[in-house]
Amino acid sequence: MTRLGARLAALGLALAMAALPAAQAQAAREPEAGRRIVRLGATQAIDSMNPFLAVRVVSTQIHRWMYGYLTVPDSKTLRPAPDLAESWETSDDGLTWTFKIRDTRWSDGTPLTARDAAWTLNKIMTDDAAKTANGPAVENFESVAAADDRTLVIRTKKPQASMLELPVPILPRHVWEKVGDIGAHEAEQYPAVASGPYIAVEHVKNAYVKLKANPSYWRGAPAVDELHVVFYENPEAANVGLRKGDIDWIGRMDGAQFEALAGDPAIVRWNTSGRRAVYLQLNPGAATAGGEPIGDGHPALKDVRVRRAIHHAIDKKTLAEQVQNGLAVPADGSIVPPMYKEFFWRAEGDAAVSYDPAEANRILDEAGYRKGADGVRTMPDGKRRLEMRFSIHTDAPAEDKLAQFLTGWLKEIGIALTTRRLDSNKFTEETGSTALYDIAISGWSVNPDPEEVFATHLCSRRPTASGEGGGTESFYCDEEFEKLYQEQLSELDRAERVEIVKRMQEKLYTDAPVIALYYPNNLEAYRKDRIASITPIPEDRGILYGGSSYWPVYTLRAAAAPAGAGSGGMSTAAVAGIAAGAAVLLGAGGFLLARRRRATADERE
Amino acid sequence: MTAPLGAAPGGVHGGVHGGVQDGGPAAGPAAGGPERTGAGRGLLRYALAKLGGALLSVAMVVVATFFLFRLIPGDPTVAYTRDVPVSPEQLALLRRQMGLDRPLPEQFLDFVARALRGDLGTSYEYRRPVAELIAERLGPTLLLVGTGLAVAVTLGLWQGTRAAWNHGGRLDRFSTGVSLTLWSVPTFWLGLLLLMVFAAGVGPIPGFFPTRGMEDVDAPDGPLYALHVAHHLVLPCLTLVAVVYAQYLVVMRSSLLEEIGQDYVTTARAKGLRDAQVRRRHAVPNALLPTVTLVFLHIGLVVQGAVTTETVYSWPGLGLLFYEAIKGPDFAVMQGTFMVLCVAVIVMNTLADVLYHVLDPRVRSA
Repeated sequence: MTRLGARLAALGLALAMAALPAAQAQAAREPEAGRRIVRLGATQAIDSMNPFLAVRVVSTQIHRWMYGYLTVPDSKTLRPAPDLAESWETSDDGLTWTFKIRDTRWSDGTPLTARDAAWTLNKIMTDDAAKTANGPAVENFESVAAADDRTLVIRTKKPQASMLELPVPILPRHVWEKVGDIGAHEAEQYPAVASGPYIAVEHVKNAYVKLKANPSYWRGAPAVDELHVVFYENPEAANVGLRKGDIDWIGRMDGAQFEALAGDPAIVRWNTSGRRAVYLQLNPGAATAGGEPIGDGHPALKDVRVRRAIHHAIDKKTLAEQVQNGLAVPADGSIVPPMYKEFFWRAEGDAAVSYDPAEANRILDEAGYRKGADGVRTMPDGKRRLEMRFSIHTDAPAEDKLAQFLTGWLKEIGIALTTRRLDSNKFTEETGSTALYDIAISGWSVNPDPEEVFATHLCSRRPTASGEGGGTESFYCDEEFEKLYQEQLSELDRAERVEIVKRMQEKLYTDAPVIALYYPNNLEAYRKDRIASITPIPEDRGILYGGSSYWPVYTLRAAAAPAGAGSGGMSTAAVAGIAAGAAVLLGAGGFLLARRRRATADERE
Repeated sequence: MTAPLGAAPGGVHGGVHGGVQDGGPAAGPAAGGPERTGAGRGLLRYALAKLGGALLSVAMVVVATFFLFRLIPGDPTVAYTRDVPVSPEQLALLRRQMGLDRPLPEQFLDFVARALRGDLGTSYEYRRPVAELIAERLGPTLLLVGTGLAVAVTLGLWQGTRAAWNHGGRLDRFSTGVSLTLWSVPTFWLGLLLLMVFAAGVGPIPGFFPTRGMEDVDAPDGPLYALHVAHHLVLPCLTLVAVVYAQYLVVMRSSLLEEIGQDYVTTARAKGLRDAQVRRRHAVPNALLPTVTLVFLHIGLVVQGAVTTETVYSWPGLGLLFYEAIKGPDFAVMQGTFMVLCVAVIVMNTLADVLYHVLDPRVRSA
């Protein structure tokens, strides 16, 4: 009898457990009337809320929404436009920049001045820990000072054309100068003191960040009251969340995740030109920064004719369609994707390298790489066969597929390719510092100012004599390219600089230390019933999440549907859920009791 | 996370017997000595010997951890700065910050000294002490895996007992079959399936559970917060239990089957005891012993978190931390979680050994 009672109690408890969460789910999610909320799902957790330390996209995005920068890319042209700096001028030698700082206030009411900007930049220049996120941005700075509250003066060691794309959020000095050790500071004080369109008001680690509209934002408060950035580790789970309405928007999706949302009438799928270029690295005879040869790259790849022949053997259109399922644009240029209309260089006319295996074979025949009986070519001196390795990452199905295509195409031109799968750590080392590769896969996400992506192909980026990597993406070292790079650095005339940048792309294209394959599209999705409109950056078919601007979240309009719509649907569901759960539990309980009686009867002998 | 099912019972016996033999020198005198020294002193000596062994194991783990993570090919600073613009000066600075510029023996001594103080290094990704990150994730993991383990053990032992008692019957075939089927299901797949059916809702089934994590924005305060978390706990816990409870069931079932054939069970029946009493008072307590080791081993593994379940449900536990550390790669975090896991397993194994000594007189006299 007591056991029976215990079972009944347990049953009751189980029922209560099932029912109560439903009741609270209903109560908790009911937002205050009229609060316009947009919830963004991010498949990345916050690394740090301290802008001196944060490097992950999700954190730097949130900082872009919270803090003003000196300049931001213009929403239409992506050219530098005023943000905290209203205007700027350069000295004749190009070494001194004077910024006029906007007269506005921090969200706590303190006036924002040039001294805040000077403090932020000086902190990065003088404090090693503060260099973590944006150290390279200020490497060329000689001094930074505030001449008065509205005037910021930056002196550089060498001219720096990319000055107007400083990726450094300006922080409130009155809050941050009290921080002792920047490297150990988590910056978890809320509400944060900010100057951008949104203010972070709450952060639950590994769960979400809640931002509220900044009513005193200098452009005017955004139309959305709250922006929640919700963490999902798993892309499929994020999709489930979007379909259900737990979140309203997902940025930076992969192809599979994007395609899984096809056909859902409630969801807008955003498929536009992206920031990234995927390319092959061809070991051009790797050497250290001092010129000592390193690694074991195939000697044939030192020959630019072989590299060009390989370029002719690749059918980029097929790669974009088959490897990326059509969610990419075949590369008809170099490492700057067409999203950056101003800087993008397209290979046209005679310069264009088309898919033409016959031409590739002709080039190799002419260069003296003779085919053997098995169809594999040998070096002109007859010593070494053109057997090469293709280095890719382990657990990367798309790269495996790419390797299959490439192996087939290179076989046609007499090059035998074997695939080497490396874990990411080893891959980075072999293709970036020890040069133990022939051909390798790589890619780079380009910023509105493409200076950095070109720097990765400089002689000085090659590893030091002791084998320490400097961040080269190709082991390329070319005198003319170096000269062009230095020229664009100091070319303060925008049009002139664009021309130089295009010449650099042409150089990379024809020399082929890297061969661009395709530009993956930017894939995102949002719910129609929750987001009425959102303006991408650039405004013409640009990206929503992950750009160098707050423009999309600032222009965000929540749909007219009440914010409680999801919760309303939820409560009906909750009632049904309780009923179903109770029925199941009652059934199970009844079964157990019946069995119990029968068992007891059996056992009485 | 778990031993292969087939190996579990054997592993359990092997572990227990091995443990007893290890304790030989300590247990020997107690068993062979005069009767009045008593089990208490024997137990103390036995426990001390076990503790000594455990401390030695921990020391070995510390040494092994250090060298294991230095064996990973590649320069960690290069891995950390992948796809990020860095100058050689910055790399040098990073190396200095991480102490990689010093000779290996010096690094090792420093590592040991820090480990003794509970300092597990600093995460590169989070720029925070690893010990702090682990402490932060411990709560959610204990909640999820602890609840899951408790439910799985209860369910497994209960079903196992039933199955063995009705050996060969319909109930036996049904419960063993169901549990083994669930055991063979990939956790990831089951997790996503449950998520799609019970979180998103399919057809007449409403989307009743949340799609992620342990809490949502604007979670209620006070007692309602506990319910909020419980609501989030249901699906991950269900996934975890479904996939692991089979091992308890199978161990309990085989262990009980062994006991059913024993003479004392027949004697108990002959005394006229009711069937349920024979089972509860006589057979089950004896059959429970092998499961003790299994359960304690798994309690040790709790701190590992449930990597797959936590990943599918974005549950902010240690499993997710470990997964992210591998993705990073964040060596300090990998190293720290690995060490904490090893130590937890060692502690729990030692406890199981000692507890076994207390529970089973046969071990004492062995």
